[in-house]
Amino acid sequence: MDGDPAVMKVPRSSSVEVKEDMDTKSEKQATRDALIDISFCGSTPMLWKVSDMKKCRSEGVIGALVGSLARQPRQNVRLGRPLELRPEEALLLLEKEKSTAAVRLDTQQDCEDEEAHSEAVRLYEAGLESSYQEQCVLALEDKKKTLNRVMNEKENGTEGSGSAVRERLEALDQSFSFPWSAMAVQLCTARSGFSHCPEERSFHSTDCPMPRDEHLNTRFSVYRDLRNKGYYLTSAGKFGGDFLVYPGDPLRFHAHYIALCVSLDEEMPVCDILAIARLGSNVKKTVLLCSPQEGDVVYSSLQWSSMV
Amino acid sequence: MADADASADAGNKQSVYHELLSPSELFEARSRSHKIPVRGQKEFLPSGSEQQSQRLQHSLEEHWTLLAEERVERLGNLVNAVWSPEEKLVELQSPAGKFWQTMGFSERGKQYLQPEEALYLMECGNVQVFYRDLPLSIQDGYERFLSSDTVTLHQYQVFGHLKRLGYVVNRFDPSHLSHSSVSSTYERQLNLPASDKQKKQLKRKRSQSPVSSDKHGISTEEKTTSEAHNELAETSKLPADLQEPVHLADAPERTWWMEEDVQQKHPKTQTAAPRWDFSSISFPDLGSRRRSERLASPHRSLLPENVDVGECDVSRWLGRLNMKQEKLSRRDMERQRERDRYRRDVNSDREVRRCRNWAEYSELMEERRRRRRKHRPEHLWEREETPLTQPGQCTSHRELLDQIGIIKSSTFSEGLSRLSPSDQWKISFDVYQPDTVAEFKKSHPGKPYTRMCVCSFAGPVPDLHAVKQLSFQSQDVPVTFAVVDHGDISFYCFKDFKLPTDVY
Repeated sequence: MDGDPAVMKVPRSSSVEVKEDMDTKSEKQATRDALIDISFCGSTPMLWKVSDMKKCRSEGVIGALVGSLARQPRQNVRLGRPLELRPEEALLLLEKEKSTAAVRLDTQQDCEDEEAHSEAVRLYEAGLESSYQEQCVLALEDKKKTLNRVMNEKENGTEGSGSAVRERLEALDQSFSFPWSAMAVQLCTARSGFSHCPEERSFHSTDCPMPRDEHLNTRFSVYRDLRNKGYYLTSAGKFGGDFLVYPGDPLRFHAHYIALCVSLDEEMPVCDILAIARLGSNVKKTVLLCSPQEGDVVYSSLQWSSMV
Repeated sequence: MADADASADAGNKQSVYHELLSPSELFEARSRSHKIPVRGQKEFLPSGSEQQSQRLQHSLEEHWTLLAEERVERLGNLVNAVWSPEEKLVELQSPAGKFWQTMGFSERGKQYLQPEEALYLMECGNVQVFYRDLPLSIQDGYERFLSSDTVTLHQYQVFGHLKRLGYVVNRFDPSHLSHSSVSSTYERQLNLPASDKQKKQLKRKRSQSPVSSDKHGISTEEKTTSEAHNELAETSKLPADLQEPVHLADAPERTWWMEEDVQQKHPKTQTAAPRWDFSSISFPDLGSRRRSERLASPHRSLLPENVDVGECDVSRWLGRLNMKQEKLSRRDMERQRERDRYRRDVNSDREVRRCRNWAEYSELMEERRRRRRKHRPEHLWEREETPLTQPGQCTSHRELLDQIGIIKSSTFSEGLSRLSPSDQWKISFDVYQPDTVAEFKKSHPGKPYTRMCVCSFAGPVPDLHAVKQLSFQSQDVPVTFAVVDHGDISFYCFKDFKLPTDVY
């Protein structure tokens, strides 16, 4: 975002649209719909729309939910949107050309077009007004329905009280008022319609606004290989590794492995390997040492062997 | 071409409005469930069975329903606010809600929220933030509010995590601390809200005490004064006496009055120094046996200009003085004897009393030291290296071990003030426990439960320098490290560990 060197490294002239060589715009629209929109918060890739998250999961990319859950915001057991992607996950989606990445430009730039902005404000207010009118009608209907139900119940019992309800029901059309403050409004999660439409810039996978280093490259090779083999992966920082490796969707299955990505020429003290292998056996998982080698990945694990 | 444009626009609009609810959906959302479905036991291996894939499908459906839910609030329950990108603050436009007890601040008659607070409240469905007359989505909030100038995404994730658990979380302000560092450790241990409050209480107490003692009878007054005398004697005996060895001779003659007031030694030799040395200006000792009926006038330099004070006749006051010999009850006497058994008064040493000044006293002490040394073997004690301990000096094994230990164990707090602050490691938040929320006051937050330093697994582990520096900055509040790992947050802290010793 603003002032983040990793983000702003991308030259301003980079392509604004994903594929300029598409024949017609409608066709382009169709491809865009199939793509996953990644937006960056700083240098962190995030997904905001449920539709994107579904597409992403169908690719076997899990990510991590980091927002408050709309239904019950004050708890940490189940979190809600946005979905934060690991850099490897975002790279995989970009590499498969399954997604576009967009970065919001600096704040000074948004809605330079004063006219378009005032039009947006007008649309928003009109939408609010029409929503109010519609909710008024709905509220009235709702109230009538309740009173009708009460009346029916009462009429089955004693007669006198039923007529009182009937009077109230008849008076309802005149007396009913639905205060403006009772109107329900939506607090949008993802940026949409009425909100600002800031200029966004899309990227090809090559100039993704994520800082890339040697270790990320190693991790990405391992991630891609394990994913291609059908495994699901999540973060394993708590276990001292790079990934937790699941045999199926993490929603239903336990992880079997802790993957530790080490490039082949990297030196590693024996005690480090022993420590993580020991930790792995304590949590009933196997520790995998993963090293990419010539387009392939070599996996090794440590097992204590007794000699009697 | 124009037609194609229009259709593309329509398609685009549809995708843009994709997650926008219709009025009827909004209305229905008012009565939706707030329960969170329970996740079942996980399985070990995918077996490819129909049953298993059904369960997965069910879990996924539940997952998507939960996630797809949008926040819907009644307009009346929302607090309106406006984002100001220049100030990097969110200004409230309507009366604040319950959250105001622990969040936000007022300035120039306006109410503000920090961006992280506003974003959290947006996520909770309490606040709607507008920018240029349009409401901001949660996504806008994340992308606009979070930056290295305000709080980073990692810091916000930790903030949100703690807030969701009910903690009160404030930004850590190091400049705020320098004020509280004035207060003593004891004061901070008591968790007193502010030093000015403390002073007020003290003042009140002082002004009350004479009233209460007036109410009591004379006998109790005497008792309290004698107690006061004892206390004073305990605290001031040694140093005061050593500094004024001339007075030692008449020490037993002193009445309780003298303990407080050093006798006026040279009342007339006071020169008009630019600054008064208060240790040499003393009140006249009216209780002294050698008192005269008249007090000499104080030196001119001590008086305001053009004020002339002649000799003062004090006989009228002297008549009112309580000159009775201090009578101790049996219990008090016993207590005093008990005390004297463990405390040897320097004055009871005859040789010390013979000393006329400080120089003679130190000579006496040196002489005694020499005498003691005579009994020691020369080859041990008269060289450059001497034994670490002396015979008979220690009363316990622990004391002995302490004395002969060459490498002393260091504690966390040692040598802290010499550390230079680092740029990489910073404390982000003050955290107060959820059960203190009811009494929490923003103006007097008191001592935090802990302070948070946010870091990530991708970064380095804090070294001892960083850990020490942060704990020094945090003073006596522990520092917790919140490690963010792609949405997963773990908390760690470094604790001073003292190895247990076997010998006591």
